[in-house]
Amino acid sequence: MTTSPTPMILVEERASRGLWGDAFIRLRRNKPAIVGVVCIILFVVVALFAPVLAPFDPNKTGLGPSFAPPSREHLAGLDKLGRDELSRVIYGARISLFVGIISVTIGLTIGGILGALAGGAGGKTDTIVMRFVDVMLAVPGILLAIGIVAWLGQGLPQIMLAVAITNAPIFARILRGSLLGLREAEFVTVSRSMGADGRRLLLRHMLPNALTALIVAATLALATAIIDVAGLGFLGLGPPDPSIAEWGTMLTDSTEALRRAPWLIFAPGIAIVISAIGFNLLGDGLRESLDPRLKR
Amino acid sequence: MTAAQRAATSRAGVGEPLLTVRDLVVRFRTHDTVVYAVNGVTFDVAGGETVGLVGESGCGKSVTNLAIMRLLAKPAGRIEGGSVVFDGQDLVKMPEQDVREIRGRDVAMIFQDPMTSLNPVLTIEEQLTETLRAHKQVTKESARARAIELLSLVGIPKPETRLSSFPHQFSGGMRQRVMIAMALALEPRLLIADEPTTALDVTIQAQVLELIRDLTQNLGTAVILITHDLGVVAGMTQRINVMYAGFIVEAGLTTDIFAKPSHPYTVGLLHSIPRIDGSDEPLIPIEGAPPNQRVAPVGCPFAPRCQWRLERCASENPVLEAVDSGSVTVLTGATATHRVACFNPPTPEEAAAGRPLREQGSRA
Repeated sequence: MTTSPTPMILVEERASRGLWGDAFIRLRRNKPAIVGVVCIILFVVVALFAPVLAPFDPNKTGLGPSFAPPSREHLAGLDKLGRDELSRVIYGARISLFVGIISVTIGLTIGGILGALAGGAGGKTDTIVMRFVDVMLAVPGILLAIGIVAWLGQGLPQIMLAVAITNAPIFARILRGSLLGLREAEFVTVSRSMGADGRRLLLRHMLPNALTALIVAATLALATAIIDVAGLGFLGLGPPDPSIAEWGTMLTDSTEALRRAPWLIFAPGIAIVISAIGFNLLGDGLRESLDPRLKR
Repeated sequence: MTAAQRAATSRAGVGEPLLTVRDLVVRFRTHDTVVYAVNGVTFDVAGGETVGLVGESGCGKSVTNLAIMRLLAKPAGRIEGGSVVFDGQDLVKMPEQDVREIRGRDVAMIFQDPMTSLNPVLTIEEQLTETLRAHKQVTKESARARAIELLSLVGIPKPETRLSSFPHQFSGGMRQRVMIAMALALEPRLLIADEPTTALDVTIQAQVLELIRDLTQNLGTAVILITHDLGVVAGMTQRINVMYAGFIVEAGLTTDIFAKPSHPYTVGLLHSIPRIDGSDEPLIPIEGAPPNQRVAPVGCPFAPRCQWRLERCASENPVLEAVDSGSVTVLTGATATHRVACFNPPTPEEAAAGRPLREQGSRA
């Protein structure tokens, strides 16, 4: 083939930063998202370096009188067994982070498979999968989690599974929704007109475009997972092992002593709020910066 | 192997057209409505020919071509009749698997809006090699080499530095060039260009059209050019099919149709674009709106807007017949017969004036 193509007149020169590069630059300009990132970094650093940061062993009892008020030595006071509340909150970050990440990962996997199946295959598969998902969504998340823990027994693995299962239908619905929208996208029709098969359409064209929605959902789900885990702990369904410092369980314990030692609710409460807000702010920021519609 | 060489080994007999569309009927069915999108369209495309499909928005041009490619939106859009024979095989009856083999390799398509027809999250390289990878086992290196070759073919400077770019880093004209490169990657024998320049700047339009013309001529690729822009077809096509409400109402050589428009709708179209040759003709708009295609067509679809309307036009739909009756009908090539679907075609004088001049004794 020999031809002399018409030369381009207007050549737009722009540095190639790629999808993630562009998203990162937009994210940096988003102040609430930066606040979220700071909260998350604080949370993760505390979790990772808990042994270094905690002034006392979280399980050492009798450090002083029970329900001792905050002092210079014990900044958040002592709980009913005379354990250092601050050290327990610091160690609790490990539990929350670990449980949050594992449960969201499991939920994302289950939900992702269900959503890809429904949105990719369509037809009867879609109907069956989505009706199942609807049933799961009809049950309030925390109730479903309580049911699962009641059924499988208390313990960290059960809690992770319970939180994962309550999150899975949300991921399934989000992924299916974006896949359905993408099925009608012009570039998918273009790709079909070039002879691409269903597998390639789903994996190379539709899933990468749906991924951004899933990343946002997963970030937001981390916030709910932390709250759900704390909620289960608060309802007395936390890990039965008293040596595991879990924020929700600590909160319950402190409400029992609310009259005698009201300061005890602050440390675990603030910890839950900071971590949940952090993931929420980052999730919203990611949604804005990854939205392809905002791209020029 | 170029399209011309492949044509020599094709299944179609000598003299048979590359694409034969016969009585194509497409309907969109939802639970309570039926849209009569394409109502028995018949046309041929010979190898290497450029054929225009002209009509206003919603007349069924794009649907006809999506149906040819079997790309109608499922489950609503269905081919409910007729045949589409490409290279001796009926695409309507073919299993999806086999149609996929033909898509991209033998028949390719360029779409209207280059802003939405490229995948925003994949690099240009990834998308350019799409066609190659769908049909051939190619190594990454050879696919890359071909992608560079294709980009320079469509006139994108410094192609090797452009491969890792994303679509949003390209301008509209450049994206449409990438689309053209994708479509022509395997040197298809038929290219369907669906309003390829509608979304582009006027200055870019001519470049893109010229590029399509040059490349397809070199490859011997036949082109179906869908457009609502008569200026585009005038310069690009040998033949035109004029569509209205899912019917072809006039067909013939481009020169014949511009010189002697014989359907009132074509006359109306030609009179609703300004001329630049200095003649100070008033623009005559076509009154009314296209028919509601949710109602089964009865009679001539253009009758309600037609100034040449007869009584029978409301109840009978005229078929496509030669304007000069008696001649043998030729469907393709340079001697294609000028045909029109009209009971009372405008005379050349009326076509020039844009309105009926005779006494209309039997006007409805």
